[in-house]
Amino acid sequence: MRPTLPVLGIRATSAASFALLALTVSALLAAGTYLTARHYLVGQREATAARQAFVDASLVREGLLTAGASVSDVLDETSPAPGAVVVVNRGGQWFTSSLETGADDVPDRVRGLVADGTAARAWTVVRGEPAVVVGVPVPAVGVQFYELSPTTELESTLRTLAVVLGSFALVTAAAGALLGGAASRRVVAPLRDVASAAAAIAAGRMTTRLPRTSDPDLAVIVGSFNTMVEALDERMQRDARFAADVAHELRSPVTTLMTSIDVLDAAPEGDAERRRAATQLVRREVRRLHRSLEHLLELGRLDAGVLERQPEPVDLEELVRHTLAETSRPDVPVDADAGLGPVLGSKAQLHRAVVNLLDNADLHGGGAERLELRREDSLVLVRVVDRGPGVPPAERERVFERFARVGSRGSAPGSGLGLSLVAEIARAHEGWVRCEETSGGGATFVLGLPLAPSSGPGA
Amino acid sequence: MSVRLLVLDDDDGIRTSLSMALEDEGYAVVAHASAEDALQEPSLAEVDVFLVDLMLGGMDGFGFVREIRRRSDVPIIVISAKADTHDIVAALEAGADDYVTKPFEIKEVGARLRALRRRPPMAAPAPASPSGGVVVLDAAHGPLVLDTLAGRVRRGDDEVHVTVTEYHLLRELAESAGRVLSRQVLLDRVWDRGYFGDERIVDVHVRRLRTKIEADPSEPTLLVTVRGLGYRLDPG
Repeated sequence: MRPTLPVLGIRATSAASFALLALTVSALLAAGTYLTARHYLVGQREATAARQAFVDASLVREGLLTAGASVSDVLDETSPAPGAVVVVNRGGQWFTSSLETGADDVPDRVRGLVADGTAARAWTVVRGEPAVVVGVPVPAVGVQFYELSPTTELESTLRTLAVVLGSFALVTAAAGALLGGAASRRVVAPLRDVASAAAAIAAGRMTTRLPRTSDPDLAVIVGSFNTMVEALDERMQRDARFAADVAHELRSPVTTLMTSIDVLDAAPEGDAERRRAATQLVRREVRRLHRSLEHLLELGRLDAGVLERQPEPVDLEELVRHTLAETSRPDVPVDADAGLGPVLGSKAQLHRAVVNLLDNADLHGGGAERLELRREDSLVLVRVVDRGPGVPPAERERVFERFARVGSRGSAPGSGLGLSLVAEIARAHEGWVRCEETSGGGATFVLGLPLAPSSGPGA
Repeated sequence: MSVRLLVLDDDDGIRTSLSMALEDEGYAVVAHASAEDALQEPSLAEVDVFLVDLMLGGMDGFGFVREIRRRSDVPIIVISAKADTHDIVAALEAGADDYVTKPFEIKEVGARLRALRRRPPMAAPAPASPSGGVVVLDAAHGPLVLDTLAGRVRRGDDEVHVTVTEYHLLRELAESAGRVLSRQVLLDRVWDRGYFGDERIVDVHVRRLRTKIEADPSEPTLLVTVRGLGYRLDPG
């Protein structure tokens, strides 16, 4: 199995990036500083060594010009810098101011250049110590003069500088890491608020909201989070209300059934009238329960957005006539425009919508007086006309809400869902339903459904 | 003469079946679908117990209960499909004596009716009362008298209007004056409800009773709450 790399979080990544950036910048700066300083210091050291060598060489020349002076005597008079060694070659004979350092320590290249009459300067190592060697030909007295100046001090200076600069680079990198960590913590902090708010919401505290912020970067997150919670809360409340309403609607028929069965039990054998009345109640309430359950299932399907089948072209006139025949309403007249054209949708759902409109007319409007099918622009209108008491204008939208109670239900117990189901079906077909007044009194429910595309007149 | 009931429910099935079932139990029943119709009932004044659904078109059950309370102290049982909501408390506060929740068994309604009618106001004198049915409860703010012979409560010469249930509650507390009665005991004795009875019924009725018998209902001195235990009547 391949080992998986640990996934770094925002904070770790951010801290690492900051550290890396700080390290790079400070390393570059340190290196630049070091090189510049080194170049300067080395140059200066070389210049110093050369100056000293020329001074000492001229001392040697003057000493030797003085008659009779030996090279050794002259060497004693020179005053090389502490640690520096003077080496002199006169006519192939080597003299030195130190016991440990001699001609062997002068690099051949320098010796060659000086022998050719050119002053030369080079870096070398004398007994393990770095040193600058400066060679000066002194032709006036036939001498090749060399001075070896140890640069141990320079080396230690440069080493100290390197250590200091390196440390600074590391400290800067560490500071970068800390800064990155702190900055990302600040960035991540609101996320932690979001996380704890989400946890609170998951635990059921639906009133939890993120506090408002003036930070424009966060305002978007906070705003959309709170909007989401509100939508969720609303949805949950609507569902809870719906569940409560459903329970309530089912309680009534169940109550009637329980009570009717008690009445049936108590009725004496001979009292056929009472038994029939109770049985009729039972039958009616069972039908009502059945209808409620059907409507609930249908609503559940619509809520879930389940289309039973692919949308198919439906001839509404045919559907309406079949519906009337099937639901024992063959006497309701249908007035249809010619050449309506099909609508696209679910035959079962449209059937349900028409049945519910007819049931509604039965329950509240004394039954449908007639049905009209009209073509209007790109719509087919199904108009269910009754001669009942009508619906007051203020209630004409509310009747399509679930469990809306308009006026007294009186002796007409519907499921409370029928018209809301019609509205949902209309919406699912990109149509609408509305309630109007029948001219001369009563209610007219109009279901508007868009024609199937590319179905011209008479198609 | 049989007990007269008025059933008010806008659900046709419940109204019809409940009326029939209550007739089977021996009650005389009139039924209405709306509060407005029920208030027009000619025999309204002779009704012994009201059974009222809360959710009605037009005037709702709360309004009807308040309207009846304005006129009389007759027992009212609320029929509600919502058992666990504040609707129940609101209905009790409006003046209802008890409630049943849908779906109910007819024998439960019968039990509620019997509990409310078990001890009519004209009860026999309580044997414990030394003054022959008259118990002086509170002398500090004018004598408050529980007359168990007449089934009345008086302060001085004025009658204090209490409902039948409030009267029973006060009498139970008076018979155990100075002793704590738990809500459970009161539920059992006054409402004939069992272990699972709703203790809010007791609290609401105590609250209502206080507004009638306490000088300052928010600082009760006569009918006091014993935290965690129940209620106690402290005659002054």
